[in-house]
Amino acid sequence: MALINVAAREIHCKIVYYGPGMCGKTTNLQYIHSQVPKEVKGDLLSIATETERTLFFDFLPLDLGKVRGFQTRFHLYTVPGQVLYERTRVAVLNGADGVVFVADSHKGKMQENINSLRELAQNITRQNKRFADFPIVLQYNKRDLPPDVLAPVAMMDHFLGVNKMNWPRIEAIATKGVGVFETLRAISRVVISKL
Amino acid sequence: MDPQLTSIIVPSEEIAKIEECLARLVEDTGSDYALLLDKSGQVISSKGDGDRQDITALGALIAGVFASSREVAKLLRERDFRASFQQGVRENIFIALIEEQWILCIIFNKGTHIGLVKVLTKKATDELAAVLERVRQQHKARDEVLGSAFRTSMEDTIDLLFRD
Ligand SMILES: Nc1nc2c(ncn2[C@@H]2O[C@H](COP(=O)(O)OP(=O)(O)O)[C@@H](O)[C@H]2O)c(=O)[nH]1
Ligand SMILES: [Mg+2]
Repeated sequence: MALINVAAREIHCKIVYYGPGMCGKTTNLQYIHSQVPKEVKGDLLSIATETERTLFFDFLPLDLGKVRGFQTRFHLYTVPGQVLYERTRVAVLNGADGVVFVADSHKGKMQENINSLRELAQNITRQNKRFADFPIVLQYNKRDLPPDVLAPVAMMDHFLGVNKMNWPRIEAIATKGVGVFETLRAISRVVISKL
Repeated sequence: MDPQLTSIIVPSEEIAKIEECLARLVEDTGSDYALLLDKSGQVISSKGDGDRQDITALGALIAGVFASSREVAKLLRERDFRASFQQGVRENIFIALIEEQWILCIIFNKGTHIGLVKVLTKKATDELAAVLERVRQQHKARDEVLGSAFRTSMEDTIDLLFRD
């Protein structure tokens, strides 16, 4: 639900990082926050438990400056991944313009990835949006895992139905920043094309 | 639904009406601050004394809390959850929903009675609902703002700022 304020000449877009617990959503935002120029970023706000797990959301406002006279702002959010927080994810997803689905490349996490993506589809549909048309980019994170536990990309494509849906898909190592900005660029482009 | 139709474009004259409405609400209730948010947490307009540096974070949090309270209400089978009240030692916050799309938020201190806030907020939400209705009707402004030149510039900006 991009918001365009003609008087203030502002455009706001909301992007949500979604995915199972511990897949690396918060790490994505932390890396972005550490790398973008000072004048672009606001404070990274994290509502977390004492053990650093995301409880409500992380929030990072980015100010892209003026684009053709319009002040352009992107607000990035993460959801808490654990199954327990299903209702909280619904709340954070409210009014999102696009979603980065972060999948965990650990072989043992495939079912969690699938469940989380299914839940996302349900939640988007509940907001009266067509899931098939909704801006989504997939990130296969943790590509640095040891080969014996690393799920091959083709296997993840198969399980997550990427080929059918035509989603952009990016391999990443969020802890090292690999693929993090590529993902952000990809989702930004899809969101803009559908404004 | 066509995602193209989900952007909300608020033209200048409607922003002026919103600002007027918020200013009157602050004035008549003696509140400290009034804030109109989109349900996504983005600040549409705000009125009150002093420049708040934290307004972006405030918007994100209030929208999150409100959406979260609504989920709680649903679990309790509450049918019509449209307002919430946070009582603080210094500041109170009253939040009201406008047509499932916008959130009106009033921050006030001990000097203001909650009853007055509720009554005048009801009036303000009716006015703002009318603004929202008009904003939803007009699609022309979208093409003026979001032409292909704009999209291309936006993509260039993204490539420039979001790079490794
Ligand atoms: N090996 C590896 N670990 C990662 C990667 N990205 C994140 N992690 C780790 O995974 C754990 C969970 O990350 P976090 O960002 O909190 O996950 P979230 O629950 O999705 O927000 C942390 O210990 C991270 O350091 C990655 O690319 N590779
Ligand atoms: Mg997290």
